[in-house]
Amino acid sequence: MRRISACVALIVVAMLTVLAGGLSAQVEPIRIGVYEPMTGAMAAGGQMTWEGILLAHEMTPEVLGRPIRLFLADNKSDPVESANAVAKLIDQDKVIAIIGSYGSSNSMAGGDVAEKAGIPMITDSATNPLVTEGKDYMFRACFIDPFQGEVMAKYAYGEGIRKVAILIDVAQDYSVGLANYFEATFKQLTGDARSVVAKVAYNTGDQDFSAQLTQVINSGAEALFVPGYFGDMALVAKQLRALGSKILLMGGDAIDAPELVIIGGEAAEGIVFSTFYSAEAPATPEAQKFVDAFKAKYGKTPNANGALGYDTYNILVDAIRRAGSDDPKAIRDALANTVDFPAVTGSTTIDESGNATKDAVLLRVEDGKFRYLTTIKP
Amino acid sequence: MQIQHDPRRARLKLILTLLSLALSALAIWWANNNLSSYYLRILNLAGINAILAVSMNLIFGFTGLFSLGHAGFMAVGAYTCALLTLPMRSKQTIFLLAPLAWPFNAVTLPPFPAVLLAGLAAAVMAYLIGLPVLRLRGDYLGIATLGFAEIIRVVANNIPTITNGALGLKGIPSFANNLWWTWGWAAATVWVTSRLVNSVYGRSLLAVKEDEVAAEIMGVNLTYHKILSYVIGSAFAGVGGALMGSLVTAINPKTFGFMLTFNILIIVVAGGLGSITGSVITSVIYTVLLEALRPIESGWSIGPLHVPEIPGLRMVVFALVLLVIILFYQRGLFGGREFTWDGVLDWIDRKRNRKQEVAG
Repeated sequence: MRRISACVALIVVAMLTVLAGGLSAQVEPIRIGVYEPMTGAMAAGGQMTWEGILLAHEMTPEVLGRPIRLFLADNKSDPVESANAVAKLIDQDKVIAIIGSYGSSNSMAGGDVAEKAGIPMITDSATNPLVTEGKDYMFRACFIDPFQGEVMAKYAYGEGIRKVAILIDVAQDYSVGLANYFEATFKQLTGDARSVVAKVAYNTGDQDFSAQLTQVINSGAEALFVPGYFGDMALVAKQLRALGSKILLMGGDAIDAPELVIIGGEAAEGIVFSTFYSAEAPATPEAQKFVDAFKAKYGKTPNANGALGYDTYNILVDAIRRAGSDDPKAIRDALANTVDFPAVTGSTTIDESGNATKDAVLLRVEDGKFRYLTTIKP
Repeated sequence: MQIQHDPRRARLKLILTLLSLALSALAIWWANNNLSSYYLRILNLAGINAILAVSMNLIFGFTGLFSLGHAGFMAVGAYTCALLTLPMRSKQTIFLLAPLAWPFNAVTLPPFPAVLLAGLAAAVMAYLIGLPVLRLRGDYLGIATLGFAEIIRVVANNIPTITNGALGLKGIPSFANNLWWTWGWAAATVWVTSRLVNSVYGRSLLAVKEDEVAAEIMGVNLTYHKILSYVIGSAFAGVGGALMGSLVTAINPKTFGFMLTFNILIIVVAGGLGSITGSVITSVIYTVLLEALRPIESGWSIGPLHVPEIPGLRMVVFALVLLVIILFYQRGLFGGREFTWDGVLDWIDRKRNRKQEVAG
């Protein structure tokens, strides 16, 4: 018996020695943390983002001559878990910068922990303006709600529309934010406080919109802005057309998903929305490269979240390269000075409040496909 | 139940209590100064979960009111405390949709009174809700209170002048990231609950739980006792919500969904209905285990066997652990029993007697 345990101990020691030798021969990696909702209500978005980040990591696995090591922490789509995940990444995994998270509520909880620890964080798709507000170490690679709201208001005005209705999901900060800025911009453009003729609300998970849509139709609106998710938009389109209305339907980047056409079918035709990029008409060579690589790796077309995950990783790696070290403060300063980074989702500049300014792309649903319409500059 | 009047034992118990309190204080002082912020965060969360679990145990475990409104009271507490402690500058910058309404735009309180008021606000809410709803029993009460919690969430979404709507509040002062705060309040919750449960009121609460009709015949005022338990339990839920808001520093209506209530219900049931000790210890196990299981989902290898990264794996393992607990401890880990000095001393006495028997 004793001999067997001695043997086992010997083998373990030998393995550990080999392992330790193998490790010490390598260059110390650059540690980057990622916290995303891999499970829970927002898992679809989080997983797509992670796929984009993984692809970017595969294509750029090194910076400053050192390998990059990613540490993923799942935040279960929950703010409390997000704060835990970020604390874990910083304290246990000793990361020097963090990517994440999908979902503004997660990013706000995680951002506070990173801010206090002095670790730079760049979020891929948290659009709530409060995420970066008053924070020195918090950045984002996506554009914020005010910009998208403005873009759609300008588009509607440019199309000669003078009366609009808005259908808001009051339970989504994203929806509330977009609607708020759309309304303000549209009223300013028309110079008419009554140009928003109907403002109706629903709650996440609602299936029947007929009461709200009847109100919209009766208000005499020429267009309806629905800053909700693709599932809601598809149902709204179906029910609106069933009620016999042919007014223009507009949305934000949250409806940029193939399901919009799958659920909406015929009714989705003609919907116009703003988003980050178009897989159909990639604006930059970088975008074309990304779409091809994504299709080759995962066998599907990437959506905006995949593209943003990819971009976020690349923006961060670029900042580390320009910082020339793995010092969090230096990386933070380099991130803040990101100018015209050639990202998949358009040339990206980080402004003084840590927000990305970049072009928005307008797409229209035609024959079940998202067709490129135009690009709007900030 | 036998009541022992042994002055020596009473003195011993007092000494033991004081000693363990001093030891706890020393442990908290040491942990606050030496542990990493990650471990502190987990311990703080465990303390908050203990507050929430003990308060739910008072309502459900001791009084038998199957209430699923905990998240609602937490929301009331969290918003009250956040609005009272947010610095003026934040109040001006984060309310993008509509300016903050009076009186919250005019006052900023220190954390302690704000947390007290948060508990009070939740208590008032519990009283108003409890009066009509506590007439219901069993599942019906569960559904009605669950509905109440959802109403709170929907209302929070729709009054942007107070809650900032779906955008939520951020930049809440993080005073609760401190073990004195979280475990101090947890100790207060345990003390109040155990004093209540072991008093005449506590016996009445148990009577209400066992058989409402019989209790009423014996002269127990049903409405009074149900409301009493509900209001006190909810007040601590409000305190727990306030501390959680401060620990996370950002809240929004979505935070207070029904999953939050169910997480606490899991702790209460796994720890044992009617056991304060069970709720506290299970809160710690629950919170620590969830974090301790993180490494298993980040991919690892034992020799040639390589397990890839599987997000969500820890929840699977966690669910299995819960299953095992419920299968082998059907009344929860503590099954209604409590930790008491009497229990410990009796156990030591028995051991000693047995040893003497063997020796003799």
